Amino acid sequence: MLKPTRIFPSSNSPTLAGERLLEPILQTENLWKVYRQGKVEVPALRGVSIEIFPGEFVSIMGPSGCGKSTMLHVIGGLAQATSGRVLLDGNDLTTMSDSARTLLRRHKVGFVFQRFNLLPTLDAYHNITLAQHIHGNGFDPHRFQVVADLLGLSGRLKHKPSELSGGEQQRVALARAIVSEPKIVLADEPTGNLDTKSSEAVLGLLRQLNQDLGQTIVMITHNPEAAAYGHRVLHMRDGEVVDGSSVH
Amino acid sequence: MIRYMIVQNVLHRPLRTFITVLAVAVEVTLVIIVVGLTSGLLAESAKRIEGVGADIMVQPPSASVFMAFSGAPMPIAIADKLSQLEYVQAVAPVLLQFNSNGLEIIYGIDQESFLAVTGGFVFHEGHDLQGPNDILVDDVYARSKKIKLGQTLRLFDHDFHVVGIVEHGKGARLFVFLSTLQEMAGAHDKASVFFIKCDRTDHTPAVIDAIKQLLPRYEVRPLKDFISLMTSSNLPGLGAFINVMIGIAVVIGFLVIFLSMYTTIIERTREIGVLKSLGASKGYIVRIVLSETTLLCIGGAVAGVGLSYLMSAIFIKLFPTLTILITPLWVLRAGLIAIVGGLLGAAYPAWMASRKDPVEALAYE
Repeated sequence: MLKPTRIFPSSNSPTLAGERLLEPILQTENLWKVYRQGKVEVPALRGVSIEIFPGEFVSIMGPSGCGKSTMLHVIGGLAQATSGRVLLDGNDLTTMSDSARTLLRRHKVGFVFQRFNLLPTLDAYHNITLAQHIHGNGFDPHRFQVVADLLGLSGRLKHKPSELSGGEQQRVALARAIVSEPKIVLADEPTGNLDTKSSEAVLGLLRQLNQDLGQTIVMITHNPEAAAYGHRVLHMRDGEVVDGSSVH
Repeated sequence: MIRYMIVQNVLHRPLRTFITVLAVAVEVTLVIIVVGLTSGLLAESAKRIEGVGADIMVQPPSASVFMAFSGAPMPIAIADKLSQLEYVQAVAPVLLQFNSNGLEIIYGIDQESFLAVTGGFVFHEGHDLQGPNDILVDDVYARSKKIKLGQTLRLFDHDFHVVGIVEHGKGARLFVFLSTLQEMAGAHDKASVFFIKCDRTDHTPAVIDAIKQLLPRYEVRPLKDFISLMTSSNLPGLGAFINVMIGIAVVIGFLVIFLSMYTTIIERTREIGVLKSLGASKGYIVRIVLSETTLLCIGGAVAGVGLSYLMSAIFIKLFPTLTILITPLWVLRAGLIAIVGGLLGAAYPAWMASRKDPVEALAYE
């Protein structure tokens, strides 16, 4: 068994309002995820231990197949870990049932995907409010307006995804991810399908969400320029975190 | 929100929606028309029997209310005994013959007593029966078969001469002399039914009691209740037939909805993954699938009711002797059958959708 890698934020890691928060919002301990392909076991995560603190914007970088998407799925509660622990806001995902993880995703996690993943039949407005509906607290017009204004969507809300540009679709997806005030936003290559200009806009918005709303963000990317938008970058290779550095 | 979502889903694939709604509509129409046709035929013939105007009907022991299926085993002499009973004003012996070619019942009547009980025919054209080969037809029959006064009508390999066209509603659509029909049927001095007219309607129960004493095992029925007796439940074969047709309709609805929702779920795999990533529970996803199914089925049921009225109008135009009885109860039942069948058909696709692995669903191309 490989030795687990344990990466902690450096001493000058960012904090909300300059105050050092000691409790991580997300913590993994010796996290393993092994896929079974026929009779062969393929480990996608090999003992990953990381900590993400509230208000951080962390990039995870690595080549294709290094396990970064798997990592995002496991820490977001979409997939069950094989062993180890994932603590999200104090809840251990690895001991949870499928329905408990569903509930946790609903209340604490916002996902942003490379392919936007908006529902094609709904307009932008309903794609965003869908998250509030599933969240169960009903429509919060104030929060909706804040989010729509912040992401510059006010004029595009009546449009369906097919009528929006890639950059606009990703902004709607961002709005959907944060409208229910999740503890953490997990972004899986959010600029992977965008041109340079739209990429910069989306990355700028992620940074703005982090700075203005204190939104904790974990972003996966294989692009170093995109990764540089985060406070720090975790490098992954072959299912392990090999280096964690602060860029700011 | 769910309502908005399912409406958008339904509008997103208009052809799929149209075909599904159409299939459910056909299912609903099948139920309504089959039931409407059978109960319409029964009600219509019951109404005609009532239209005879008699108060009591006497049939041989354990005879069916569906007179077409009864034989003719009663000696006609019984009529004399019956007419001697107190309060009895008139007794009309009638021999029934079922014409399997035209699905029609022919009445062999003794003209004098039949007129006494019924109050007589209303003639559109022509006159009473006079010769042994004369026949009276009612206006509906004449219209649908394009029969003219004076023409020859061939029934049971026998040529009849149409001498009168009468108003419908006197038991049968075709009337010949009792003696002619007895000879043709080989049932000399026999009758299938006696229609009895009392001097006053409120004497009917007393006369019934008297007849039951006179003819203990015979079927004696007041005609007032006749329509209520003419239901498919009194004819086991017909009830089974209706059930089979409903069963086929339900299977059609089940299969169409199953296939429609199954392919929809596969097409929307990634969307289901998105819903799951947003924290939608299994119940939420099942609710979406079943709500959409319900919407499609309600659409199909409404279209089906419309289609039923249209089909019924077309049928009646083509076959004027048919009666199709579309009742609110069966409209409601057919709608419920469609919805329940649809929900059963959607149950597996909904379950399949709710159990999808979110990571695999999100990676679906």
